Amino acid sequence: MSKPNFNDYLNKSLNTLDKEITPQKDLWAGIERAIVNNKQNPNSTIIWPKLTAIAACTVAALIAVNIFVIAPEPQPVVAISDYFSAQKNSLLVEYENKEALTTNWQTQLQELEEAEQAIKQALENEPQNQALLTMLAQIYQQQLDLINKVHAPRWQHI
Amino acid sequence: MLHVKPEPTPLCEAALIERVKSGDQGAYTTLYELHIKRVYGLCLRLLADQAHAEDAAQEVFVQVWHKIALFDGRSQFSTWLYSVASNVAISYLRKQKNWLQKVVSIEHSGMDEQSANDCKGLNGLDKLIVRLPERARMVFVLFAIEGYRHEEIAEQLGMAVGSSKSQYHRARQLLQEWYENE
Repeated sequence: MSKPNFNDYLNKSLNTLDKEITPQKDLWAGIERAIVNNKQNPNSTIIWPKLTAIAACTVAALIAVNIFVIAPEPQPVVAISDYFSAQKNSLLVEYENKEALTTNWQTQLQELEEAEQAIKQALENEPQNQALLTMLAQIYQQQLDLINKVHAPRWQHI
Repeated sequence: MLHVKPEPTPLCEAALIERVKSGDQGAYTTLYELHIKRVYGLCLRLLADQAHAEDAAQEVFVQVWHKIALFDGRSQFSTWLYSVASNVAISYLRKQKNWLQKVVSIEHSGMDEQSANDCKGLNGLDKLIVRLPERARMVFVLFAIEGYRHEEIAEQLGMAVGSSKSQYHRARQLLQEWYENE
């Protein structure tokens, strides 16, 4: 039997699409923790999005300065790696005495570090390859997210 | 099979909202249960990442708890809630990718296709939608699924109306290409 044409497929799919998707985790517990003992106030704003935005902008600015100003002959992989190594080490020191919420986070971190090494190897042959640089940056971000999440989860739903 | 759930009656929901406005967390749990799947579905389609969608859906309900006094009842609660959800998801994505985009261009990296692997439980068209590049995906979800107009989408995403239309066209082309090659 031949496939229906794309327009028919799309229309049918959109008409029958279930807009509801069940989350795989219980999300209420984290929400409850965030709102409990927290008075409603229409004028109040949640501070962490602002802090996150400020931190993200600072990171971006530091990377840009590092890559484009301090190092006029850029080796992006070195600049990104140095910056994130410092970030990671400082997080690990910060959380050194804090109990992690999961027991296998170091295994997960190790897997990410192995991915990091594989990408770095590929970058040795193509140091300006944007897709590889993106992957490397994402792997670094995942490492930072993992460390943060297991030690200081935003909504504590892990 | 299409999943059909009885809609909450407006009267019943209005009473719940009044209770939530007065700080009743039990009433808020009921509101959450009524809407979480829809909010999560929207976040997952917009963000194409399960973990981010979970975080964003939680953030939606935390924000709504704090801002519910601003809901004046002139529109349906669900309309207001889903507009909060799409705004939260859009700003969540901006925050996540801000610094990355300063270093490299994600849009052209082809990384988005990986997203399909990060979204469990999706089928059919949804599996293709989460493979779309970010801007095309957001426009497609907001226009074709959520029913927003291009003018509204352009405002939400901070782009020109023409860009919204061209991203929608791009999304359709990619979906067609993938569908025909499946």
